[in-house]
Amino acid sequence: MSNNVIIRFSHATIAYQRRTALTDINLEIFQGEFVGIIGPNGSGKTTMLKSILGLIRPTHGSVQIFDCACHKLRCRHKAKIGYIPQKGQIDPNFPVTVMETVMMGRYSSIGLLRRPSNDDRELVKHALREVEMDGYADAPLGHLSGGQQQRVLIARALVQQPEVLLMDEPTTGIDTPTQYSIIRLISNLQKNLKLTVLLVTHDINMISPYVDRMALINTQLHAIGAPADVLNEKTLTAIYGKQVVVTTKGGGTYVIVGDYHYV
Amino acid sequence: MFEMLSFEFIQRALIASVIIGLVCSIIGVFVILRNLTFIGAGTSHAAFAGVTLGYLINYNPLSFAIVFSLLTVWIVGYLNLKGYLKLDASVGIFYSLTMALAVLFIGLMKVYNAEVYGYLFGSILSVTKGDLAIILILGLAVLSLVYLFFKEFHFITFDEEMAQASGIAAGWLSFLLLTMIALTIVISLKSVGAILVFALIVTPAAAAYQLTFSMIRMFLYSAVIGITASVGGVFLSYWLDLPSGATTVLFVSAMFFLSLIFSPKRGYIS
Repeated sequence: MSNNVIIRFSHATIAYQRRTALTDINLEIFQGEFVGIIGPNGSGKTTMLKSILGLIRPTHGSVQIFDCACHKLRCRHKAKIGYIPQKGQIDPNFPVTVMETVMMGRYSSIGLLRRPSNDDRELVKHALREVEMDGYADAPLGHLSGGQQQRVLIARALVQQPEVLLMDEPTTGIDTPTQYSIIRLISNLQKNLKLTVLLVTHDINMISPYVDRMALINTQLHAIGAPADVLNEKTLTAIYGKQVVVTTKGGGTYVIVGDYHYV
Repeated sequence: MFEMLSFEFIQRALIASVIIGLVCSIIGVFVILRNLTFIGAGTSHAAFAGVTLGYLINYNPLSFAIVFSLLTVWIVGYLNLKGYLKLDASVGIFYSLTMALAVLFIGLMKVYNAEVYGYLFGSILSVTKGDLAIILILGLAVLSLVYLFFKEFHFITFDEEMAQASGIAAGWLSFLLLTMIALTIVISLKSVGAILVFALIVTPAAAAYQLTFSMIRMFLYSAVIGITASVGGVFLSYWLDLPSGATTVLFVSAMFFLSLIFSPKRGYIS
């Protein structure tokens, strides 16, 4: 992690579908940092990622990435941002193979009116190896399990050769052991490829051992810092509106939200 | 069979069938995969309204068909893009609005015009040299655009938001695709008819969808089914003395039901 600021929110207020989703956000994300974004449903987590992608522009203040206003990003900047959206239900019959899906990550780099080259195909194979899916290149995407599909979508982001990875709930709808394997994969890729990663999630306990910092948001930025600093009972209880217990075990900090055993 | 091929009108009809069968089935793949099936129905009726206005004021009906169908897809696309109205709701409004206009224009003609009704039900055997030239030019234009922007269309069809996030001009390409759907409907209007053209767009692609998990193969199968159905429709309608548009649609529908039975995705027989 360096001291170079890659993403900067300056007094950013952002509305989504005519509703203010984020208010007066001030936040700096540094190069090579792994940041988890947590908060209840409707707290503005996804809006935060979409504003970085330039899909939503702030009504007040600014959101910048690579020192450019996000809503004015050129293709060459966008190519440096790998995005993994919330995985909806993929139609099992949709005619697309794993290779075709990952290749889509190269399209903006290839440019209009050009076809993928052998180099692009090699990059796709390499990305599939990185996520341990190289044996599935010709498989229909819809035939894979949820965890395997998520690995393919991560490969699609990696094939862009990004500097920044934005991930929106990458472990949703996946069984617990696979969730951990996905988070470990992301953590290893982040370290090996020196990526800056912003990961939106509800799984606080799963990501806390891996992230450098956590941002707790609920329309506003309520806390930002190391997991042990952000995860305190008073703040979390106020944000989630339910009794929260924070406990430590084996050097890790764990959160229990609204469990009747502890109320 | 060879005697029939010596007739010039049959030759024109067969060439038109191949082009229309190919263009409709290729564009139909995007229509099926992007859930735009209803927009095709609405646009074909808008094009028919344009034809009736052309006959009413005695000016080239095809040019009005182009204007009406383009305006329909662009307005419907804009309302959807801005989130003012869902696509099916706005298509529903335009579907009835343009049919009302067509009925109004026909009523204002005062005299019965058989050619207008030809556009409603289609008659590929009456395609003229001029019609064939328009079918060829617009058909080639649509196929060229599919070829040039194939990878971008593929991406926005699979995941439009992701495509936009990675720098693909998804909004612009969506409007281009709607424009291509409108042009495809216009070139097919006279031969298949406003009511039946939609089947030639949707059914070959829907049949191909049953048969493969690969996008490239889906295009290939759809094209083969589309061309076979439209050319087969011409032969059958000539031999059996049946209306060409209806024969083609019944033929392609039969192929769709066969694809359902033999689909590796359903496994009834395979």
